[in-house]
Amino acid sequence: MRQSSGRKLTMHKKQQLIGWFFLIPATALIFWLSFYPMIRALMISFQGGRPTALQWSDPLTRNYQFLMKDTVFKTSLKNTFTYLIIQVPIMLVLAMIFATLLNDHQLKFKGVFRTCIFLPCATALVAYSLIFRTMFAYDGMINSVLMKIGILNEPINWLNNPGTAKAVIIIALIWRWTGYNMIFYLSSMQSIDYAIYEAARIDGAGAATQLFKITIPLLKPIILVTAIMSTNGTLQLFDESVNLTKGGPANATITMSHYIYNTMFQNNPNFGYAAAMSFVILILVAVLSAIQMKVGDKRE
Amino acid sequence: MKKLISMLLALVLVLGCAAFAEAGEQADGKLTIWCWDKTFNIAAMEKAKEMYQADHPDVEIDIEEVLSEDIESRVIASNGDTSTLPDILLVQDHSIQKFVTNYPEVYHDITDEFDFSDFMPAKLGLSVVDGRNYGVPFDSGTVVAAWRTDYLEQAGYTVADLTDIDWDRFLEIGRDVKEKTGMPMLSGQAGAVDTVLIMLQSCGGSMFNEDGTANLAGNEKLKAVIDTYNTMVAEGIFIEVNSWDEYIGTLSNGSVVGTINGCWILSTIMSLADQAGKWDITNMPAMVGVDGATNYSNNGGSTWAVVNNKDIDLALDFLQMYRNVDFYDAILPATSAIATFTPAKDAPNYTAASDFFNGTPIFATIVEFGDSVPAEVTSPFYYDARGNVGTAVTNALNGGDLDSELQTAQDTTEFTMGF
Amino acid sequence: MSEGTFKKYGKRTLVYVFLILMSIISVFPLYWCFISSCNTTAEILGGKMLPGSHLIENLTNLFSQQDVLSAFKNSVINTVLVLVLSLAICSVAGYGFEIFHDKGKDIVMGIIMMSMMVPFVAILVPLFQMFTKMGFVNKYIGYILPSLSTPFLIMLFRNNARTFPKEVLEAARMDGLSEMGIFVRMFVPMMRPTFAAAATITFMNTWNAYLWPKVVLQTPASITMPMLVANLLSGYVVDYGVVMAGVTICTLPTVIVFFILQKSFTEAVAGAVK
Repeated sequence: MRQSSGRKLTMHKKQQLIGWFFLIPATALIFWLSFYPMIRALMISFQGGRPTALQWSDPLTRNYQFLMKDTVFKTSLKNTFTYLIIQVPIMLVLAMIFATLLNDHQLKFKGVFRTCIFLPCATALVAYSLIFRTMFAYDGMINSVLMKIGILNEPINWLNNPGTAKAVIIIALIWRWTGYNMIFYLSSMQSIDYAIYEAARIDGAGAATQLFKITIPLLKPIILVTAIMSTNGTLQLFDESVNLTKGGPANATITMSHYIYNTMFQNNPNFGYAAAMSFVILILVAVLSAIQMKVGDKRE
Repeated sequence: MKKLISMLLALVLVLGCAAFAEAGEQADGKLTIWCWDKTFNIAAMEKAKEMYQADHPDVEIDIEEVLSEDIESRVIASNGDTSTLPDILLVQDHSIQKFVTNYPEVYHDITDEFDFSDFMPAKLGLSVVDGRNYGVPFDSGTVVAAWRTDYLEQAGYTVADLTDIDWDRFLEIGRDVKEKTGMPMLSGQAGAVDTVLIMLQSCGGSMFNEDGTANLAGNEKLKAVIDTYNTMVAEGIFIEVNSWDEYIGTLSNGSVVGTINGCWILSTIMSLADQAGKWDITNMPAMVGVDGATNYSNNGGSTWAVVNNKDIDLALDFLQMYRNVDFYDAILPATSAIATFTPAKDAPNYTAASDFFNGTPIFATIVEFGDSVPAEVTSPFYYDARGNVGTAVTNALNGGDLDSELQTAQDTTEFTMGF
Repeated sequence: MSEGTFKKYGKRTLVYVFLILMSIISVFPLYWCFISSCNTTAEILGGKMLPGSHLIENLTNLFSQQDVLSAFKNSVINTVLVLVLSLAICSVAGYGFEIFHDKGKDIVMGIIMMSMMVPFVAILVPLFQMFTKMGFVNKYIGYILPSLSTPFLIMLFRNNARTFPKEVLEAARMDGLSEMGIFVRMFVPMMRPTFAAAATITFMNTWNAYLWPKVVLQTPASITMPMLVANLLSGYVVDYGVVMAGVTICTLPTVIVFFILQKSFTEAVAGAVK
């Protein structure tokens, strides 16, 4: 008895040891190419001066103190959170609706619908920003169609009005990323035994009950993943702000990453300040992810 | 199973080795040049290369297409290590101050190694940092007002009516033309403030004081300019569009009467073959009630910078081409790149009449305009200030108070300068 | 009774109408891009909705202006390298984190997840400086290295490894299979949908990447398709027909790959349901 349990322990230990070898390549790469530069960036966030002759700030937290007074940074923070609060929930709910509808075994042309809805993900960010910019132009397709139907009397300057410009970015983001999230839900749903749904249906459970009692609880891990990923992606939003609206009008659509980019590459380069702003994003993402994980755990 | 693993391992190994292969080639001992427009500065450099190699057949010259923003981000990413940079690169005129100030180790001081006589003074000043020269001037950004003569005719005007006028007269004509043809006179990108800064420079104004401090709040010239600009926009004489492409669109589909911009815009206009003969150029309107108001300004343009790399002497010898009238004459037909080297204005292609523009010898005219452009005070913080002015203009258009908006712009710019 | 039937069919119709509408919205911008590659600039700006006859002309202009073949080749090589290497590295790691999980590995996983929170713009400059020193600039390795190990893929495989039955694992160990053997022979075939999803996503991210390649690939010989498309927009004169032709060439491979992987995706799922 004792001997066998001892052997088991060493077996287990051996497996755990082998396990490390599974992780080493991936982990090493991330430490080397993500954490090491990040630590360098953290150091830079306490420095100032011209990029090739950085010096320690005096006081050390000078860059962080400036953050509080920077109106553009505050605007970018507000914009980013506007996108986050409106776009992420709409997108995830839509993705869940699509996935549920497409998981119906009686539905015809499933493959066609799935392909169509996922297709936007295939476009490069450069390409889709260009396409949306042209569609929402002042004399563009959207305006002429809306005027032909009679919804509008005169064209709207979509990208030149703070409200509508934000709306266009949100619409573009939803267009580009809903299918992406849907694929996660769908592939997870397909690993749920379909008999459960059939049994529920026999018991008289409606579509909504099935969704809330079966699908969502079972999909909780993947929902959490998509929520964290979308939050993270939105807080780091860059390409759309740069390519679609250039942050305008009057910084009404600029995101935090875009402002960081401008601070480094567009304006008089200030690496220390850019690094300090990056760490604010990092902290925000960390806090929001932690909250989401907590909420995700509680529902269990 | 073992076979599978070893196959997988082998695959990973092979791919891993392949990864180390060069994606492109990088050679030494030759000139590498970065610039960004196939029909413009690249074409000019190709011609320079051809003419230079005729005398120096053994010199290898590599002209690479790199976007202007990419050149800037690569200089920044190089962090002063020039080994990843070319020997010569093209810089937007207003970026020179910023880059030389921040990366003095990248840009070679060519003050004593190049003859700067006979270049347009307003242009040359942009590449002088602390009294030292850091660039060989290339194309002119002298402002022209280009008008559709057919549209003006419909409203009963000629280009002569728009020549040597001020903005008050321009607004009168604009209102009249709008009433008769329904068309706005001008178009431009919202928030990009090109037009505002063109108007500001035309009266010798700047966003900066001589000592380098920001001059936005209480800048009377700037306020007068923004007032005039916002009046035009509010009355529909100037239509704001969202992007550069849309701006070009208003010209190509003929939905505006004309444009006021750097002369490089003419190459775009000339590409609209169906509009040949319908255009003419003249000078821009002058500001009213402002000291030093002129009908001339500048927008855009670029300069060749020499990088502190191995082949500085060769690069400088090659750039002598930019003191060669024959060279400017040769590149003009294909590129419409107008010289800032003044002697070029007597070259045959410059004095030739342009059929596209109603028989006006546009190139000689532009070089002439160039002599009258007021010099501009610039700064490493040019783009910071420009962005803040753009925000102020947009907010003022949407009903904000101009004085307080300019104060905000001043504060934001000073904030950035305060680091 | 008949009312119930109506309700049922009505609902069904509604679902179809909704899905068709959403499919049209999803596909329309791409359709517009594709047809625009057959039109002239004037037609595109004028809002023409049907394909024209200028495809050949646009393609000829595109190929004479830009080295499309070289950019396409670079994109293919980069993408294939990232695809194979990152799926290998991340699937092994994700599996390892779940199957052999203990306190130490969970902590490491937590730390790795944190790297997802680093905005890429923040590490761009330090990363480029490292790569310059190591001579990775303008090389395939410079492009692919930062995307080989991503916390997202590791997490995807780790979460899916949870559904890997413990009994299969125990039985395979009893049979004397090595740990790597279990991964290759048991886990990989079972997780085909996950691999298909991971491959699709990785392909698209790598093919479409823009910011990093823009910094690390500096010679014309090494540029990728999205960079080429961006270059088309750089001049003072923009020919939209040519731009859209470029965008179409850039987009087609991802669309095709999606169709191919989607098939294996469906098959694998069908197999799992059986």
